[in-house]
Amino acid sequence: MQLVPTQHYLILAAVLFCLGMLGVLVRRNALVVFMCVELMLNAANLTFLAFARERGDVTGHLSAFFIIAVAAAEAAVGLAIVIAVFRSRGTVNIDELHTMKH
Amino acid sequence: MIDCSDFQSFGQYFSTHGFTDTVTCFVQNPPFNTANIGNSLWMIIALPILGAFFCGVFGKFMGRSNTHLIASASVFGSFLLSVMVFWAVNPSSTVAPNPFGSTLRYAVGADYGTWFQAGDFRVNFGLLADHLSASMLMVITGVGFLIHLYSTSYMSHDKAYWRYFAYLNLFVAMMLTLVLADSLVLLFVGWEGVGMCSYLLIGFWYDDPAKAFAGRKAFITNRIGDFGFLVACFLLVLTMGAFTLQAKNNNFPGDGTGSSQVFKAGLSAKGPLSFAAIDAFTRALPSKADSNQVTLSTVIDNGPLKGFAYGAMVTVILLCFLLGAAGKSAQFPLYVWLPDAMAGPTPVSALIHAATMVTAGIYLFCRLSYLVVLSPTAMAVIAVTGGITALLAALIAFAQDDIKKILAYSTVSQLGFMFMAIGAGAFWAAFLHVVTHAFFKACLFLGAGSVMHGNAEETNIKKLGGLSKEMPVTWATFLISTLAITGMVPLSGFFSKDAILHALHTTTLEGYEHILHWVWYVGLATAACTAFYMMRLYVLTFHGTRAPDAKVPHAHESDWQMTLPLVVLAMLAIAAVAHGIPVMENANREGPLQTVMENYLHPVFQNAMRSIEATGFVTVEHEEGLPWGAWGMAWAIALAGGGLSIVLYRFVFKRDGQWSGPAEFIRSLAQHKFYVDELYELLVIRPVKFVSFIFFKIVDSLLIDTVAVRGTAWVTAQTGAALRYLQSGDAQSYAAIMTLGLMCALFYALFKVL
Repeated sequence: MQLVPTQHYLILAAVLFCLGMLGVLVRRNALVVFMCVELMLNAANLTFLAFARERGDVTGHLSAFFIIAVAAAEAAVGLAIVIAVFRSRGTVNIDELHTMKH
Repeated sequence: MIDCSDFQSFGQYFSTHGFTDTVTCFVQNPPFNTANIGNSLWMIIALPILGAFFCGVFGKFMGRSNTHLIASASVFGSFLLSVMVFWAVNPSSTVAPNPFGSTLRYAVGADYGTWFQAGDFRVNFGLLADHLSASMLMVITGVGFLIHLYSTSYMSHDKAYWRYFAYLNLFVAMMLTLVLADSLVLLFVGWEGVGMCSYLLIGFWYDDPAKAFAGRKAFITNRIGDFGFLVACFLLVLTMGAFTLQAKNNNFPGDGTGSSQVFKAGLSAKGPLSFAAIDAFTRALPSKADSNQVTLSTVIDNGPLKGFAYGAMVTVILLCFLLGAAGKSAQFPLYVWLPDAMAGPTPVSALIHAATMVTAGIYLFCRLSYLVVLSPTAMAVIAVTGGITALLAALIAFAQDDIKKILAYSTVSQLGFMFMAIGAGAFWAAFLHVVTHAFFKACLFLGAGSVMHGNAEETNIKKLGGLSKEMPVTWATFLISTLAITGMVPLSGFFSKDAILHALHTTTLEGYEHILHWVWYVGLATAACTAFYMMRLYVLTFHGTRAPDAKVPHAHESDWQMTLPLVVLAMLAIAAVAHGIPVMENANREGPLQTVMENYLHPVFQNAMRSIEATGFVTVEHEEGLPWGAWGMAWAIALAGGGLSIVLYRFVFKRDGQWSGPAEFIRSLAQHKFYVDELYELLVIRPVKFVSFIFFKIVDSLLIDTVAVRGTAWVTAQTGAALRYLQSGDAQSYAAIMTLGLMCALFYALFKVL
């Protein structure tokens, strides 16, 4: 069976990362921004796993599990914040959330 | 020579020998163990320091009497120790280790090892008492104690008595450090210390701006002199360093006591600024070239002074020392601080500004006598400086009306006399005048203080008068001291002043044949002036009728604490005559008779005298027999000056006789001190102020205040204001910038790789 070469995984990860980044930068809805961040994390995961397969060891898997755990925690806390913000402000449009300036 | 070997006690020896022999042996065999007295020298300094500490720290709580007791007792203790040291310095006493090979006789001392060290340069902390320092010790602690006693009454109404006595004790300690030092560095510590105490005491009543200003003036003028002193020390170190490298073996005496190795070893053991090292250096540096020696005219071939001759360097060093001595000893042109120093309490004027501190310059030159005689140029300059100072100050004193100002100018003038003697190489005469002057001038100042104390602080002699009956003790002692300073015959001042004039008359400097002769004329004129203005002061203060505008109708005589020192000092002013009479034979029992002081100080100055004989720079004509002619002339001059003054002020002018015409002009000139202060203002102070103003405007106001201080604040504020706009609070724009940065880094990395 012909293996998919590592470069292809990496290119896919880079595309995913760029898409995520673009989303983070241009979208105004906090939920969507959040999803894009997840996309970027998973791009990183894909890179780790690609290299783990290439090298044949488990260090990459380890890192991927860490990232999944962190992403889960982040999703829990982040969604809670988004809900709290929506309750107090009535919106999750980040253009209207400039509180870091003050 | 008297054999004292079987001397045990005064009574035992007197029963078998004559009185003179017994006294001689008694003087040579002190009734205490003298073996280790050198190690106890530090106690002489430590006692007044302790006294200063206790008075200064606890004086306020101890009360007046306890402070008086501690201050006076510590100086008296020093005096007793000084007597012991004075007694112990005799032919049998030697300083044990002298690394320069020669034995230093007639001295006791202690070397406490390295004080500080930097590379080859080293300074030892050592004390040394020879006949010169021992005599100074007696004067400082003896007169110092009398003045402490006097001060207990004089300062009895002052609130800050504890501060006063702390300063006074500290001054005594510093002055003792100055005379006991065995190196120029430790001497400089004392030199600065007495300057500081002088500043503190002149400005003692600091809430009066004029007095505080006088203190500052004294300090700054002294600092100018100290600068000269330091430069001289540095040059001396460099010159001696060059000599160490360049000297040939036959520069050193061939009797086995000296070689360049011994000299180098001595230098590294004692340091180049110790007096033993300077002495060894001058002994190894002859003036006349002998085939293969380094001489005064040899050019230095190494180090930073390369290209200058040794003799020229010695002259420069001595001129720098002269600047230092002129500052401390109030010589032209740095004498201006001394008259203003009269702002301090009167006992301070007596102790510091008449008897002890101002003689530090003369002491310095006596200490370095072996260096002084190597340069006839420097000697001529010293003599001329002394002459100018003596005459100028005497002329100014003519027209002053403030009793303390007259005495201050008379001090300046007498110090000028001492410098003349140094210039003529008559160190013993200078020192004799230091001692006699300390007695009679301290007595005069204390008398002036007593007059002020009894007349509600009046200092204008035209508002005094007729005090001889109201203040009999002050009057009698003041009269004795006045006669002593004018040079009347049976008093000490006559012999010391005449010794100086005699030395000027009989000495010739090589290359400056007529200079000392001219200085001699100046000295004679000054002696006449001295007699005139001192008798004027005396007559106006103590005789005639009481001035109608006096502050109090009747003066009162002072307490015993004030009159006792006056009596003792007046008696000393008479007794010191014993130092000045030529009755002693010199060491070789030939030539004219020496005075007691000359004979006594012979061990101190013998190296200088040996240099004088070897170099031929200084020639002294010896006369047979006693100098009756010179004595008669000096006496006649003093009598004429004093007599004229008495006649004029007693019978012609009455009280406030005014001169008229051209005489009035001269009088006004003298009254304004020949406008020297104004000249300083114009030539020194104004330009310095102007330059300071420019620097203040450009450096301080513009560069430091505007550019450095306010500028940095302004730049920070402006930068902050500009960067403020970058902080939008929008997380997405931050992330965008971050991304941009990452992409730049990525492109850079790609660019590097590809």
